[in-house]
Amino acid sequence: MKILLVIPAYNEEQNIERVVDNLISHYGKLDYIIINDGSSDKTAQICKERHYKIINLPVNLGLAGAFQTGMKYAYRHNYDAVVQFDGDGQHRAEYVYDMAREMEKGYDIVILSRYKEKKQGLSLKYLGSHMISLAIFLTTGQKIKDPTSGMRMYNRTMVEEFASNLNFPPEPDTISYLIKQGKKVVEVQGEMDERTGGVSYLTPINICKYMLRMLVSILFIQNFRKKV
Amino acid sequence: MSITLRLVLITASVLACLLVLKRIRKSGLQIDDALFWIVFSFVLIILSIFPNIIYKLADMLKAQSPANLLYLIIIGILIFKVFLMSLHISSLEAKIKVLAQETALQKESHEGEN
Repeated sequence: MKILLVIPAYNEEQNIERVVDNLISHYGKLDYIIINDGSSDKTAQICKERHYKIINLPVNLGLAGAFQTGMKYAYRHNYDAVVQFDGDGQHRAEYVYDMAREMEKGYDIVILSRYKEKKQGLSLKYLGSHMISLAIFLTTGQKIKDPTSGMRMYNRTMVEEFASNLNFPPEPDTISYLIKQGKKVVEVQGEMDERTGGVSYLTPINICKYMLRMLVSILFIQNFRKKV
Repeated sequence: MSITLRLVLITASVLACLLVLKRIRKSGLQIDDALFWIVFSFVLIILSIFPNIIYKLADMLKAQSPANLLYLIIIGILIFKVFLMSLHISSLEAKIKVLAQETALQKESHEGEN
């Protein structure tokens, strides 16, 4: 299976070097592509100096647009599967092989789940994740324990869909929609690291916006979408 | 509020919601952009089914009439939306400019090589 790691990077000058160096030295067999989403810091410069594989977007498109660029690249270069991989060092490449093994059993999407076997706490921190899980369960009847996990593997069919369609952001609502369309989604247990450098988008206002978007989208909008 | 006005309001807000959903179905609208209109038409549907909410609010704020308050709220929301859209258009124009310049400069440098 030809696997490509798509690494969307927006202002990741503090992390990108560590993440990609680790990939190259320990997981040399895995292909990767960095999508620089119009960063205003030195991300592009660092990648160029260190000869990383990179696609530079001239303007900022946001995560969905940047990731779609990676999907288009993967589709044109005939990759069998794509892994959505964070540029901030949260994701561990060691799990890619576990995910690939699971995908070979015939799944369309494999999610690296922090809570498939381990129980998730009930604190406020996890409230959002629980709500999204519940929304997905209500619309599809399938339990996704870690819907907000950003590390996902997509097979060739999914790559084609993501590459060519509008409204396919790599987010829980798209996963919910695809499950409803009869695509097979499974979780694989794994760990993630805390991000170490740079700023997180997760301000309270952004979390509220994100939750509103996800819940309305999963519970309501996705039911009206056309079949793929 | 008269029954006829309520019926008109309910029909209009349901139609607005359906229109938004149809555009999403045809992949003509991004979900992020649709969100506002869906929430907005939902609020309209709720207000037209339970007009008492507006009556109570008008009473509390001592507005001249409930209709005035309704207009005020809707106009307020729409003005805010127009402002947001204006911001959005500005950033889109800036991005288009960058893209056009980028492609033109790239083309020039390719032609220079040949």
